Amino acid sequence: MKNLIIMIFLVSSIFADSFWGSSKKGVAPVTNNLYIAECTSCHFGYQAGLLPSSSWKKLMGGLEDHFGTDASLEPDDSKNILNYLTNNSAEKFTNYKRSRKINDSIPSYSTPIAITKTPYIIKKHDDISNKLIKQKEVSSLANCKACHTTANTGSYSERDIDIPNYGRWDDE
Amino acid sequence: MKKIFIFLFMIVSIVNAQELNNKMKQYMQILKNQAQKDNPSFKQFNYERGENIFISEHIGKKGKLISCVSCHSSNLFNNGENIHTTKIIKPLSPLANSTRFTKVKEVKKWLRRNFRDVYNRVGTAQEKGDVITYIINKK
Repeated sequence: MKNLIIMIFLVSSIFADSFWGSSKKGVAPVTNNLYIAECTSCHFGYQAGLLPSSSWKKLMGGLEDHFGTDASLEPDDSKNILNYLTNNSAEKFTNYKRSRKINDSIPSYSTPIAITKTPYIIKKHDDISNKLIKQKEVSSLANCKACHTTANTGSYSERDIDIPNYGRWDDE
Repeated sequence: MKKIFIFLFMIVSIVNAQELNNKMKQYMQILKNQAQKDNPSFKQFNYERGENIFISEHIGKKGKLISCVSCHSSNLFNNGENIHTTKIIKPLSPLANSTRFTKVKEVKKWLRRNFRDVYNRVGTAQEKGDVITYIINKK
């Protein structure tokens, strides 16, 4: 009897996995050293799975005016970073929950280059007051790790949120 | 006697820290040659001109007043902070941060980007040499 229960449990967990596409939380962590060296010298290391490849192509094609700043690279470095980003982009890693939700939220006619302008990210943050976002310790929605304490691991779960001068966030 | 040795050692390490590596010296020579070509009366790179390049404010790429100091701070031995992303920038002085001004590719990249961000144009060879001279010698 005990064996039967274990069998049922095992079979159902396999079934659940295939049903949910062996879903993982968050987004896949950053693994590319060139990306880390070049991009994180100015800003947080946004995971490749936070945007679809069409967005990464558009963004990497305009580094001379990267959100108002010159972030131009040598052509070889730019090409290698783009390869990394498009090989690990949101639509290729829909087994990660956040990648799937971001990718699904972007309509086919739009190609956002700001993660903060994707519909899913906008919706997830629409309850947060401008005062908390604009405060010195955060400054903008693009500063993920100011509140998402585990953002650098690719985890954006609610229990790891700690908003400066506010504290933990309860979505309910 | 021991104190003298320590003193001498300190002097030597300061002098060494200021000394650019060979690749960087070659790059400075290329800048110097170009500066002479651009301006026949050019003699050598100048600390004061470099300081002015570094601390003066200009209408930058974003259409707002900005200077090198805006992000790097006026103390090159301290951390700076990227004013757009709040990311910490390690000290710019090679006397405080020995990795600075060691890789020509890095130096070229940041001069290209930062002149565009602050001056909304590329820097001339003379300006680049002047500002490097200021940064590596500033105490």
